[in-house]
Amino acid sequence: MEARLTGLDRAEALRYMGWRGGPAPEELLRTLDRCEALLRRTARPRAVWRMFELLPDGTLAGTGFCPEGRDIRAHLAGCGQVILMGATLGAEAETLIRRTQAADMALALALDGCASAAIENVCDNLCADLAAALAPKRLTGRFSPGYGDMPLEQQETLCRVLDVERRIGVSLTAGGLMIPQKSVTALIGVSDGPGTEERRCDGCGMFANCEIRKAGGRCGGT
Amino acid sequence: MAEHEIILLDGAMGTMLQQAGLPVGALPEVWNVTHRSTVTAVQRRYVEAGSRVLYANTFGANRLKTAKSGYTPGELIAAGVRAARAACEGRDVKVALDVGPLGQLLEPLGTLRFDEAYELFREMVTAGQSAGADLVVFETMSDLYEAKAAVLAAKENTSLPVWVTMTFEDTGRTFLGTTVPAMGLTLSGLGVDAMGFNCSLGPKELLPLAAELRHWTDAPLILKPNAGLPDPATGAYAVAPEEFAGALVPALELGVTALGGCCGTTPDFIRALASAVDGKRPAARPDPVRRGVCSAARTVVLDGDVHVIGERINPTGKKRLQQALREGDMGYIQQRAVEQQDAGAEILDVNVGLPGLDERAMMARTVRAVQAVSDLPLQIDSSDPAAIEAGLRAANGKAIVNSVNGDRRTLDAVLPLCKKYGAAVVGLTMDENGIPATAAERVAVAERILAAAEEHGIPREDVFIDCLTLTVSAQQDQAVQTLEAVRRVREELGLHTVLGVSNISFGLPAREHVTVSFLAQAMAAGLDLPIADPNQAAVMDAVAAHRVLSGHDWDSAAYIARFANAGPAPSRPDVAGTMTLDEAVARGLRAETAALTERALQTMTELEAVDTLLIPALDRVGERYERQEIFLPQLINAANAACEGFEVVKRRIAEKGMGSVSKGKIVLATVRGDIHDIGKNIVRVVLENYGYTVIDLGRDVKPETVVEAAVREDVRLVGLSALMTTTVPAMAETIAALRESGHECKVMVGGAVLTAEYARRIGADYYARDAKRSADIAREVLG
Repeated sequence: MEARLTGLDRAEALRYMGWRGGPAPEELLRTLDRCEALLRRTARPRAVWRMFELLPDGTLAGTGFCPEGRDIRAHLAGCGQVILMGATLGAEAETLIRRTQAADMALALALDGCASAAIENVCDNLCADLAAALAPKRLTGRFSPGYGDMPLEQQETLCRVLDVERRIGVSLTAGGLMIPQKSVTALIGVSDGPGTEERRCDGCGMFANCEIRKAGGRCGGT
Repeated sequence: MAEHEIILLDGAMGTMLQQAGLPVGALPEVWNVTHRSTVTAVQRRYVEAGSRVLYANTFGANRLKTAKSGYTPGELIAAGVRAARAACEGRDVKVALDVGPLGQLLEPLGTLRFDEAYELFREMVTAGQSAGADLVVFETMSDLYEAKAAVLAAKENTSLPVWVTMTFEDTGRTFLGTTVPAMGLTLSGLGVDAMGFNCSLGPKELLPLAAELRHWTDAPLILKPNAGLPDPATGAYAVAPEEFAGALVPALELGVTALGGCCGTTPDFIRALASAVDGKRPAARPDPVRRGVCSAARTVVLDGDVHVIGERINPTGKKRLQQALREGDMGYIQQRAVEQQDAGAEILDVNVGLPGLDERAMMARTVRAVQAVSDLPLQIDSSDPAAIEAGLRAANGKAIVNSVNGDRRTLDAVLPLCKKYGAAVVGLTMDENGIPATAAERVAVAERILAAAEEHGIPREDVFIDCLTLTVSAQQDQAVQTLEAVRRVREELGLHTVLGVSNISFGLPAREHVTVSFLAQAMAAGLDLPIADPNQAAVMDAVAAHRVLSGHDWDSAAYIARFANAGPAPSRPDVAGTMTLDEAVARGLRAETAALTERALQTMTELEAVDTLLIPALDRVGERYERQEIFLPQLINAANAACEGFEVVKRRIAEKGMGSVSKGKIVLATVRGDIHDIGKNIVRVVLENYGYTVIDLGRDVKPETVVEAAVREDVRLVGLSALMTTTVPAMAETIAALRESGHECKVMVGGAVLTAEYARRIGADYYARDAKRSADIAREVLG
C-alpha cells in the first residue's frame, strides 16, 4: 500500500489560501496548475499504518496508548480494532515551500495551500486502500489528536507507537507539532457493523472560529 | 578497525525487548535500570551468537526523550553501558555507546538549533566515556547536519572512536535529502573512524548504497540492515535469518568490514551471519576515492568541468548588501542566494566582512540563512580565522575556505581549521611580500601552499589555487601572467584553480567584453572554478560554450537546451508608453515598477516618490482587497512589484549615504512553540513593501527574545503570530513580558485561531485579521 498523490482539490487549496468563494481569476488558476505540477514533481509522499486490537478499557493492545476524551471514544464506539496512520508530503515539499518564500511569496502562498490539499489527497487514498483491503469491515473517518476534546499532547504517544520518525521521517517539535508541516496522524476505527457517521462540526476544536462554517460551508473533517 | 577483518556487530535491541514485554512506544532505555538483567540476557545471547561489538541500550537516552522518564541521560547511559559490559564478561567484545537521532529536527526544517543539538550529544558522549564505553556509534541518522553536530560533540569532548551510520530510502537519499556522496565526503572530512548504513531497508536494498559509498570515503564500512520490510498491519519483519545472512555476503566483495542487523533481527540472525561469513575476508577497496565539495543534498565533483562560484554575497562595493548586513536583513541575502542558484551558480561564496560588524556571528548567521533557501555547497570567504571557523561549523556538508596565502602565519592559523572540519581550501598566490609579478613566482607560492596543506593532513585534491586577477587597465602586463600561472598550476601541480574574473575589467567601458574574454581564456588555460556573477548572462553563456568546446557538454545537449527557447532578447519594459506606476503596481509588474520609479526619481526626491507614488499605489490595491475584488496572492504580487520600486529608492539612498526612507521599525515573531510561519512571512513582505523596516525574529521565538529585540531596537510596534490554540498562551505570555519590561510599544496579533475578542483578552492592542490590516495598524501606530 504505497502513499499516493493522485491530484488535489482546487476548491480546497483555494480555501486554505483564504479564498472566500466566487470564481477564482484565470491567472490564479494557472498558478494553481503550476503549483500542482511543482508538487507532483517534488513531493515524496510517505505513509505508515498499523492495526491494533481495541481493548475494553480503551487502550490499544500491546501499546499502553489509551486515546483520551469523550469525542474519540464516541468515534471508536463499536469498533474492535483501531488503525493508527501517519502520512506526510515529506521534507522535499517543505523545502520547496520555504525556498519559494524567499523568491516569490505569492507563489509560496499558493504552493502552501496546494500542499495542504495534497496531503489530504494522500490520506484519502490511503484510507480508500485500507477500506478496500479490509472489506467487508467498515472504517470510520480519520480522527486526529487535537480534534474535539482529544488532547494534542497525545500526538507524541501516537507518533512513538507508529515510530513515524524512522518510518516516514516525521518528527515533533518540543511543542508537539509535526515537521514536515504537511503531515497528518490519525486514528481510524475498524468495525464489523455499519460505519459511524461523518465527523460533525460541533466536535471540532475550530468550531468557534471556523470561517468555512460561518460562511455556511463545511470542510468535511479535513 | 582492522581493514581486512570482518567485525560482527549485534542485532536489534528494541525488537528483543518488546518480545520480553516492553510495550510498543515505551522508552527502552528505562529498562537498563528497571530490568537490567533482561537487557544483559538479550545482549549475552548476541555475544554467544558471535557479536564482537555490542551496542549498549542507549539509543534514545538524550535529554529530550528522557525528560518524562524520571531518569537523566547520565543514569540511563551508565546503567546501559554496565548492562552491556556484564553481557561480554569473559569475552573479547567491545561495548559501543549507541546514540540515535535526538527526535527533534534541526533548523532550517525544524526548530532545534545546531548548538542545542551539540549540547544534547555532548551530554550523552561524555556520560558514555565516563561509563567506560569503548567507542560511540551514531546511528539511524537521516540529517547530515545533525550527524555533524554529533561527531563534533564526540571529537571535541571524548577520545572515543566515532562511527556513524545513516538511514537511507531506496531512492538513494535520506528523508532529509542527504545523498551518499555528500555523506561520504562530509563524514570523511570530519574524521569519523567508520561509516555506513543501518535500518530502514533490508540487506538487498542496502548493497547498492554501500557500492556507492565506497567510492566517496576510505573509512571502513558498516552495514546493519533490517530484517526486510515490516508488515504494516502487525509490524512483523519478513526475512528469515539464513536469507538475511546470505543476502549480506556480497557486501564483503564491496569491502564492507562491519556487519550486523537492525530492526527485526535477533541472535539467530547474527549466528546465521557468523556462519555465512566464516573464513571469508572483505575485498580490497577502490583507490583513489572521488573528490569534490558538497552540501547535504548536492555534490560538485571536480572532474575537469567548469563550476561557477557565485560572487554576489560579498559586501565589497555593494552598498545595498552592506545595508542589509548592518540591518540583519537576511531576506535580502536569501534572495541573492536563490537568484544565483537559479542563474546557474553551483557553489556560493559567502563573505560578510564589514568594518564595525561582528564578522564571526554574522558569518554563522548568514551561512544558516543561505542554507535555509539554497542547497548549493558554500565557500566561506574571510581572512579572520574566527569567522572562518564559525562559518565552517555552521555549514552543512563539505565547504571551501577562501582563503589562505603563502604567508606562514595565515597557513598555520587557517589550515588546521580546514583539516578539522574537512574543508577544501583556496590558496592565493601571494604572501607577506605581496603579489609576485611573474607566473613562475606565483607557481612557486602555490607549491609552498600545497606543501603546507599536505603537512597539515589536507589531501592535494582539496587544495585549490587562485592565481589572482589584476585589473588590466592598471597593470596591463599582468593578465598574461595570471593566465600562464593558471595553466602551469593545472598542468604541473595538477591542482584545481579558482579565479575571480570580474575584477579584470575594472575601470574600462563596456566591461562585459573584457570580463568574458578573460574568462574564456582562463577556462582554456585550465580554470575550473571561476568566481563570477551568474546573473550576467554573458558570463554563463561563455561557460555554456566552453563546456561544448571542452567536451563536457556531450552532444551540446545543455547548450541547446539553454538557447532552445530563447526568442529575441526580452525588450526593456515599456515605460515610454502610457503605463502609470499605479497600474504597474496593481498588475504586479516588477520590472515596470522599477523602471517607472527610476523615471519618477528624475523629477522628485526619494521621499516624495515613496509618499506620493508607491504608497498610494499600494493603498489602492489594498482597498480593492478589502472590497474583495482581489485576493491575497494578487495583493502579494502588487506588494512585490512595489518592493522593486522601493529597492530602486533604497539603492539610491544607500549610494548617496543618506539615512533611510524607512517609515519605522516593527518586530515580527511567530511565538514559542509554533512553527507555522507562512502567515507571518506574508505580513513581513507586505509591511516591508509599505516601507517599514521589519525585524523578523523567525518562528518558535521565546518571549524574552521578543522583549530583548523590542527594547534594543526601540521598536514601537510588535507583531505576534500563532496558528494553534495550544500556542496562544505563549502569545499571552509574550505580551505580558513586553508589558512587564516597561518598554512602551503596541502589540498586534494574528493567526487562524484568534478573534478580536480573544486578542483583547490576552492583552493585545490590535487584532490583525490579515496582512492588509497589519499595514493599516502600522500606519496608525507609526505613521
